[in-house]
Amino acid sequence: MTLDPDAPLNNDPELVARAQGGDPSAFDELVVRYTPRLYGLIYNMTSNHEDTNDLLQDVFAKAYRSICSFRGKSSFSTWMHSISVNMAINFLKKRKRRQHPSLNDPDSSIENDPDFIAATSHGDPRNEISVHELQKKLNAAMLKLSTQHRAVVTMFDIQGIPHAEIANILKISEGTVRSRLFYAHRQLQNYLQEFRSTQ
Amino acid sequence: MHRLIRLKRFEQPPKGYYENFLAEFHRHQRAELLKPSLKTLLMEKLSDFVSEFRVPTMAYVGATAVAVVAAVGILTFTPPSPSSALQSSYAVSYNPSFTSQPPVTIQKMQPVSLRVDLPTSGITDSTQPFPPSYMLQAHTASHESPFSF
Repeated sequence: MTLDPDAPLNNDPELVARAQGGDPSAFDELVVRYTPRLYGLIYNMTSNHEDTNDLLQDVFAKAYRSICSFRGKSSFSTWMHSISVNMAINFLKKRKRRQHPSLNDPDSSIENDPDFIAATSHGDPRNEISVHELQKKLNAAMLKLSTQHRAVVTMFDIQGIPHAEIANILKISEGTVRSRLFYAHRQLQNYLQEFRSTQ
Repeated sequence: MHRLIRLKRFEQPPKGYYENFLAEFHRHQRAELLKPSLKTLLMEKLSDFVSEFRVPTMAYVGATAVAVVAAVGILTFTPPSPSSALQSSYAVSYNPSFTSQPPVTIQKMQPVSLRVDLPTSGITDSTQPFPPSYMLQAHTASHESPFSF
């Protein structure tokens, strides 16, 4: 069996039904499919690879234990994201006093991204900063946000999840999502003053 | 700001991580099976509860609840009127079901007459110098002395 993480999500209900019926290979397929996007979600909230790996294992273990209680009121994607965000927030509450980011290396394709070029050059080659410097600054700014604001920024700005979907995941109103985003962006702008000229 | 933050999507885990994740997940599940699951679940729930527990918050909530209950109690309390209190105490004290003693019965008493019967003879008894005053009242009034001839 080949497991494709980029497969479309439209056959999620079928896989879920098979998993609920006791087919472990169906759950394996769901794990492979959701690992990259849930990794991104948790990693950008914790800024630590080891913590992300442990949490991701726990997220899938919890999903496996409770898959029979999934009634399909929301999509499976929303359900998985909801479990991940809640577990990440609980984890961050416990980890509050010991923050030690261990950042992953950015993909080399970042250097060709127009947004990266615009953000790092400032139009003046003397002011150019390296990928790692930018990464450190972005992560430092993200870690200064509260967990609730960081979750919204991660899902909207990094993962591109629409407002309505975020509202479903966090079980809050869409207005609250927009309000948190507005507040978080304002805070980030203050932390990343030097990049404001590129906006 | 949105485009700048979006650059974080380029951060990726070490190469081969996603490919190996499923195998690691299976190993993790097998390891979980070896642990006492009920104990683990209970400890997990307990630690989650303790971590969520905030003493000041609970104290504020508790104090507010007590204050509200006390305020409602004071506002809705009306002292009982004296007549109703008497009635209730009477009812209780005379209710035979509240005591093992037999009920107190008041015996019927005969009326006592205070009337004194007047003697019909011996009013003019010479041995008595003066009849009692009440005897005088039994006869028609006379201004004559009984000893006058």
